[in-house]
Amino acid sequence: MDLGLQGKKAIVVGGARGIGYAVAEILAREGADVAISARGEDSVKDAVAALSRYGTRVVGKPCNVKKADDYKALLEWAIEALEGVDVLIPLSSAGGGMGSEKYWHNAFETDVMGPVRAIEAVIPVMTQRKSGSIVLVATTSALEAMGGPQAYNAMKASLITYGKQLALAHGKDGIRVNVVSPGPIEFEGGNWDMIKGTMEKFYQSQLRQQPMGRLGRPEEVARAIVFLASEAASWCSGSHLVVDGAFTNRTHF
Amino acid sequence: MDQPVTHKPVTWDTSKMDVKRVVDVIRVTPETNTSRTPVDKAPDPELGHDVIPAERYYSEAFMKLEWEHIWTKVWLLGGRADDIPNPGDYICTEIGKESVLIVRQHDGSLRCFPNVCLHRGNRLRPEGIGNAQMFRCMYHHWTYGLDGKIDRLPDLCTFPQGGPPGMTLPSLPVTEWNAFVWFSLNPDVEPFDDYIAPLKDHLEPYHPERMAWKRDVTVEWDCNWKASVDAFNETYHVQGIHPQLQWYLDDVNVQIDCYERHNRYLIPFAAISPRVAMPSTIPPAIDEIMRHAGMDPADYEGRVSDIRRDVQLFKRKHGKAQGKDYSALNDDQLTDDYHYMIFPNVALNVHADDIMMFRQRPHASDPNKMLYDVWVFELVPEGEPWPERVKHRRFKHGERSIGQVLDQDAYNLPTVQAGMKSESFPGLWIGEQELRIRHFHKVLDDYIYGPGQKQPGDM
Ligand code: FES
Ligand SMILES: [Fe+2]
Repeated sequence: MDLGLQGKKAIVVGGARGIGYAVAEILAREGADVAISARGEDSVKDAVAALSRYGTRVVGKPCNVKKADDYKALLEWAIEALEGVDVLIPLSSAGGGMGSEKYWHNAFETDVMGPVRAIEAVIPVMTQRKSGSIVLVATTSALEAMGGPQAYNAMKASLITYGKQLALAHGKDGIRVNVVSPGPIEFEGGNWDMIKGTMEKFYQSQLRQQPMGRLGRPEEVARAIVFLASEAASWCSGSHLVVDGAFTNRTHF
Repeated sequence: MDQPVTHKPVTWDTSKMDVKRVVDVIRVTPETNTSRTPVDKAPDPELGHDVIPAERYYSEAFMKLEWEHIWTKVWLLGGRADDIPNPGDYICTEIGKESVLIVRQHDGSLRCFPNVCLHRGNRLRPEGIGNAQMFRCMYHHWTYGLDGKIDRLPDLCTFPQGGPPGMTLPSLPVTEWNAFVWFSLNPDVEPFDDYIAPLKDHLEPYHPERMAWKRDVTVEWDCNWKASVDAFNETYHVQGIHPQLQWYLDDVNVQIDCYERHNRYLIPFAAISPRVAMPSTIPPAIDEIMRHAGMDPADYEGRVSDIRRDVQLFKRKHGKAQGKDYSALNDDQLTDDYHYMIFPNVALNVHADDIMMFRQRPHASDPNKMLYDVWVFELVPEGEPWPERVKHRRFKHGERSIGQVLDQDAYNLPTVQAGMKSESFPGLWIGEQELRIRHFHKVLDDYIYGPGQKQPGDM
């Protein structure tokens, strides 16, 4: 199956590590030009260097998405550097946390406004070209109890609603919008890597709850994201795909 | 204050170790140090690479040598000075087969006596702290004053030989230093100041007298006391039995300093071990450090790798308003673990806000057993009431938890003790990260066999 990504231009916000990096890597491997951004200057530099081996154009810049002006400038820069944009995958996240009101602000700024501002930046370009694809990344924590009631879960849930309504509104412009909700994903330097090291018992109990007896890997989510982002998914829009190895208990009718 | 710059007090090549990253730790240098506690890297002693014989961990003959040449010769930690502020307050503490009474006198000074009645040898008091007007033996009521003199000897006229010499308990050396009391079973022990050198400068800036008891526990462990000393003298085992600490401290970039008989290491805390990938979210244990300092982790905009330095700066800025006077400490001391071993048996983790220390005592007769005392003290902010003294608890290993980290150490030690007795195990194969262990055993050798006198074939 040809994903039709050859020569496409993709922006991945939060693309230096974990799922975001895996997305950027598949895109580059499939022949797309990629612009990535993340918080850490070193991690962006390392990621750009690693992604360049696939021979497409890969650019990157560090950015704190909470700084709206910097972030908007970053997005403009990325569109310019790629000379357009066909695919947007904004994955920035502040992560979880309870016990301080500040977590709500962080999640709103990073998990919600991160994607929202990116979408606002690309919609005019995509509308003009009458083509574009956006994939938002929520979480299974938005669907079922996970880690306690917290800003992360609730803010991520808003992306599912927003994604569907974007799809309805921009279908006429040739823009598809889909949402992917990953379950727990483990990778080096990720949260579950740290939990495995610091809370071994809790980690093992998570494994026991997993129908396949393990956590997911970034590339297993990234492949689903990239599929929805690609031409191969041309009739998928407004969909919400749960990628969790059957972890969530509910039936996704 | 000068900006701390990076220097390299670590002697091994961290890039060749089993690490994921090479980390350049920001440290206070001798030039930027603002504390009386020195940060200078002491030159590593040349101690060779010999195996440390396992026999010394289970041999009764070696236990006897230790008793003769160490326990009855050196200064020993007795307790906390603020447990005995008033005349008649006493600490009764045991070391091996001996027990002593450390007693506050009417003039405020301290005296120390063997805790044994001169009549037929009964113990005068059980172990613990208390207050007494006098020490009256339960058996025949021989009665001793706070100064150890026999005030009453019932029916003295029936002892034609009179009372024991001088009618007094023998006096043992005792002193008070840095909120603790120290004693010796050796009447001719060297002056305490000579013995403790050079640690006065190191430890006084922490002001332990501003800290109050938080925990006072004694656990009976099934291992030789030295196995316990060794277990706290290296960070090499963090990746082995304390994996969770890799998201709390840097077990690789550790400065080791060996002095004449004592030694220390300096471990960066609020740091991520180079052995694990740098996380993008704040680990729970570091979150805890930040909250304890008064920071809101949710508000933190920096990178995880910046937290240690930012906690230092935050404490420096806000400590005073929190009633915490950090003026005698340098910036690293505001986060890091300065870990000391006072020969032969005291391990101290000293921090700006607390001290967690262990006294490791030999069993009276069995080299395979020991007493592990855990003492924790916490800084009482100025203006806050002094908390009530915690109660001492004593139990056997495994009966209760002593916290995740110490449990991990504790559960490991009986199997170390068992394995060391194997005939196919000649002894400890020690690496550079374990230099303090080698140094400790060298000091031990010098006490036991005389300086440099240990011969091949000696235990
Ligand atoms: S043994 Fe103490 S009075 Fe007899
Ligand atoms: Fe340990």
